[in-house]
Amino acid sequence: MHKRFSILLLVSVFIIATCGLIYELISGTLASYLLGDSVTQFSTIIGVYLFSMGLGSWVSKYFEKNLLTWFIRVEILVGLVGGTSSTILFLVFESVSSFRIVLYGLISFTGILVGLEIPLLMRILKDRFEFKELVSKVFTFDYIGALIASLVFPLLLIPFLGLIKTAYLFGMLNVLVALVACIVFKNEVKGVKYLKSAAIVSLVALFIGFLYSEKITSLSESLSFSDPIIFSKSTPYQRIIITKKGRDLRLFLNGNLQFSSVDEYRYHEALIHPVLQALPNAKNILVMGGGDGLAVREILKYPQIQTVTLVDLDKEMTHLFRTNDMLVRLNQRSLLSPKITVVNVDAFSWARAQNKIYDAIIVDFPDPSNYSVGKLYTNTFYSIVKRLLAPDGIMVVQSTSPFVAPKSYWTVDKTLQSVGFHTVPYHDYVPSFGEWGYIMAMRRSVYKVPDHYLAGLRFMSKPCLEQMLFFPKDMARVPASINRLNNQILVKYFEDEWSVVQ
Amino acid sequence: MSGQSFNNRGFSRRSFLVRAGLVTAGIYLSGCIRKLGGGKGSYAHITGDLRGPNAKAGHMLRDKVVFPEPVNIQTVKTLIIGGGISGLSAARWLKKNGENDFKLIELEDHTGGNAYFGTNSVSSYPLGAHYITIINNEDQQLIDFLHETQVITHFDDHGLPFYNEYYLCFDPEERLLINGHWQNGLVPDFGVPDKDRQQIERFFKLTAQYQNTKGSDGKYAFNIPIDESSADDTYRKLDKISFTDFLKAEGFDSPYLLWYLDYSCKDDYGRHAKDVSAWAGIHYFSSRRGKAANADPNSAITWPEGNGWLMKQLRNMVSGHLMTSHMMYSLDIKGDKVNVKVMDLKKGTTSLITADNVIVASPQFVNQKTLAGLHRPGVDYTKMNYSPWLIANISVNKLPSPEKGMVLCWDNVAYGQPSVGYVNANQQDLKVIEEKKVLTYYLPLCDHEPRLSRLAAYTRPYEQWLDIIVPELEQMHPEITPHIERIDLWVWGHGMISPAVDYVWGETRKNAKQPVNNRVFFAHTDLSGISLFEEAFHQGLNAAQKVIDKNHGA
Repeated sequence: MHKRFSILLLVSVFIIATCGLIYELISGTLASYLLGDSVTQFSTIIGVYLFSMGLGSWVSKYFEKNLLTWFIRVEILVGLVGGTSSTILFLVFESVSSFRIVLYGLISFTGILVGLEIPLLMRILKDRFEFKELVSKVFTFDYIGALIASLVFPLLLIPFLGLIKTAYLFGMLNVLVALVACIVFKNEVKGVKYLKSAAIVSLVALFIGFLYSEKITSLSESLSFSDPIIFSKSTPYQRIIITKKGRDLRLFLNGNLQFSSVDEYRYHEALIHPVLQALPNAKNILVMGGGDGLAVREILKYPQIQTVTLVDLDKEMTHLFRTNDMLVRLNQRSLLSPKITVVNVDAFSWARAQNKIYDAIIVDFPDPSNYSVGKLYTNTFYSIVKRLLAPDGIMVVQSTSPFVAPKSYWTVDKTLQSVGFHTVPYHDYVPSFGEWGYIMAMRRSVYKVPDHYLAGLRFMSKPCLEQMLFFPKDMARVPASINRLNNQILVKYFEDEWSVVQ
Repeated sequence: MSGQSFNNRGFSRRSFLVRAGLVTAGIYLSGCIRKLGGGKGSYAHITGDLRGPNAKAGHMLRDKVVFPEPVNIQTVKTLIIGGGISGLSAARWLKKNGENDFKLIELEDHTGGNAYFGTNSVSSYPLGAHYITIINNEDQQLIDFLHETQVITHFDDHGLPFYNEYYLCFDPEERLLINGHWQNGLVPDFGVPDKDRQQIERFFKLTAQYQNTKGSDGKYAFNIPIDESSADDTYRKLDKISFTDFLKAEGFDSPYLLWYLDYSCKDDYGRHAKDVSAWAGIHYFSSRRGKAANADPNSAITWPEGNGWLMKQLRNMVSGHLMTSHMMYSLDIKGDKVNVKVMDLKKGTTSLITADNVIVASPQFVNQKTLAGLHRPGVDYTKMNYSPWLIANISVNKLPSPEKGMVLCWDNVAYGQPSVGYVNANQQDLKVIEEKKVLTYYLPLCDHEPRLSRLAAYTRPYEQWLDIIVPELEQMHPEITPHIERIDLWVWGHGMISPAVDYVWGETRKNAKQPVNNRVFFAHTDLSGISLFEEAFHQGLNAAQKVIDKNHGA
């Protein structure tokens, strides 16, 4: 027995132990990022993982010959499965119904493989050490590895590498153990050439994964979002990102916050209820933008509503908010209601071709931060939409912040007026957005503040709306001009005003 | 062109042959080097075709092919030759005035002239003229046409036209790549030193002054249509010197200003500032005074297919009268009839059309061949210079981002480049996200005298055009090459008349406008001296009006 070999094997124990715990931590962290409720997630992950390790240990007795060969195979497999686990979990998260199966399946598989490692190793070493010496050494290194892992994971790995890179890094370490074993025991291992090349190929594959993991969830992206990203996807139209921290779920489109689950009710109640409480007979509603279904959730609280037509450019958005458990819980299955028709087209051309009349129109587009979206804030667009509004109907337009961007806000107001609308500007405070503005537009000239509101609203009430209609001096009307297709002044104002605060 | 090379024909001819030989040999040699070097390299993925106006028919005229004697004889009261904007406008005016007995023949298998357009899977795109600007308010006839076609939707309380908001060029309109940065607008500004800015300001003060100046006859010094301009010699004498000489005399020497003015001449006339008259150079800046209810003066009005959209409106008004793929090859006046011989290019048959009046709305370089038997006193065809152009419609799946400065505009120009930039054919798209785009790139071939550039253009194969276009695009948008899917090229050998020194107010144009025997009337922008939709529209309308007056008088 060469001393060098025993040191090598004990170093392997150390690495194996570290890797094993790292995979467990990664799975637990990922599950709590993605599914929330970290206590439950960590508890079940640890339970399943330890149980699987037990299974692995139990299975180990069925391995009788060529133990070293089996050990190397297991190492390569652990490295591959563990290394790619977080990537796989990120990628399959979108189809949430099967996500838990994939999650626990992966954890069990990794657990079984990790559970195999130590018994196999001990049996390999049993002829080379005295038994009490062996047990003491292996378990010492096993627990030291666990300690190291539990310390570096939160302090170094997550902040500097992130979940995905960490997984690949430890996957490579696992495979490296296999490769070293191949080289050192080349005379004792059957089919050593085959195993060696398998190890090298796996190592290269994991290294490529490590290098390109930014493509999966871009590192720069993770840095620009303060909360953990649990979902990201580039559609033909935008980059959708969902972050979650505690109970705060946030949706970002192209890096711009769309809502925070903590206070979105303030925004959506303010957007919908001043309109619908004033229209007790409204039956057909048009929503443009708002593919998250949160505005629709508020609309469906009125039993007299018969149809809701939702026009949102991005199919992926409406699909996500129809299928993802967590998001469906947030919008209360609004997009799955039989009353709703989802149309995934460009709003401008669609509206131009329509003739159906709606009792209320909710315009919830992204902010006019570029010339493309800016078209949806022009007099031309508003005059098209006006044709679709019932004579007594009300349209409401989300109109950016009258506090941060007063010129932009009052430009929207002026533009709406220019096509013959009477307008009712109002605003409220949404903590994650700041002070936010809306404008109701209608053909009739009188808007009466509704006396009553639906039971169960968390924010809107009569005194609340009365207060929202008042504009203090720092948000008061400023002179503005009309935003036209051939002179998109709104985009310029918006950029100027927001660049000061961002 | 100063005109000098034409006065000394013998010398000019030899020099031309030598230079033509050098240029074409260069193109062939470069083709050989390409082949040796292994072909197209990084452009290998770019497909497309190289087209232009019907060359075969043109060569039949040039080579004096013997045509079979016509068997078929038709009679029509008025015959219009040429289906560009001038011819179509003449047809519309006849029809509008109750003159329904007319036909229009066009050599190409489509009407449109240089307002023609193309279409691919991404978009329609212009192949030539691509916009008009806000029309001068006193131009009632054109305003009426634009109102008929809903380009002007209505008039406000002050009588100002309200232009259709789908056709007014969407913002953002223009950007210039200068000193490594895309600036807003085309007048050089970013990184331009103060003394240059002062000159630029002084130049615009001067043109603003000319814009509102009237001559001793009470007419504007510079106007559209051009023949509505003042006859006052104070201004007309500016036609006797080149724009460059005028600028020198006025003390303008800022390279930024001179670049911008040279760009403007290339953009509107297809020639450098040194090759157009000072009168024409100033006309570009000082002839437009149009006011709109809902747009700034000088705002552009445009469509994906460019002026092809306006052309289609005209065409649809007279559709029953059009005979495309018909070429006139001879015309002579017999008593009170005009006999026109026409070949049907599709069938290969000829026919004789006998008309009371003919409106010749084809360009004079064609008339030089077809009207060989017609006496037009004082018309020197060699004084008419036509600028050759290359138009490239470039389909890209995206533009590399991010860019420094201004985002993609309708008109995108790079400082100091041979081309006059490209327009985004999809500017008027209502979609929030366009996935693919067609960029229409305009390259005036103005570095040699027109006929030399024309010869070189006809010789140059597709791949060698890419050698000019793609590097320039790369300079504007690094890394764009992999995003280019298609480049369709269109060569205009005679793209537009150029207002060379002494052309607009010289003898040739004056004489060429004259009808022959009060039976053959002429209409074309080469009889205006500048190639604008407005000019073509009035050219056609005026010729048609002469026919109508004659018919009513008779």
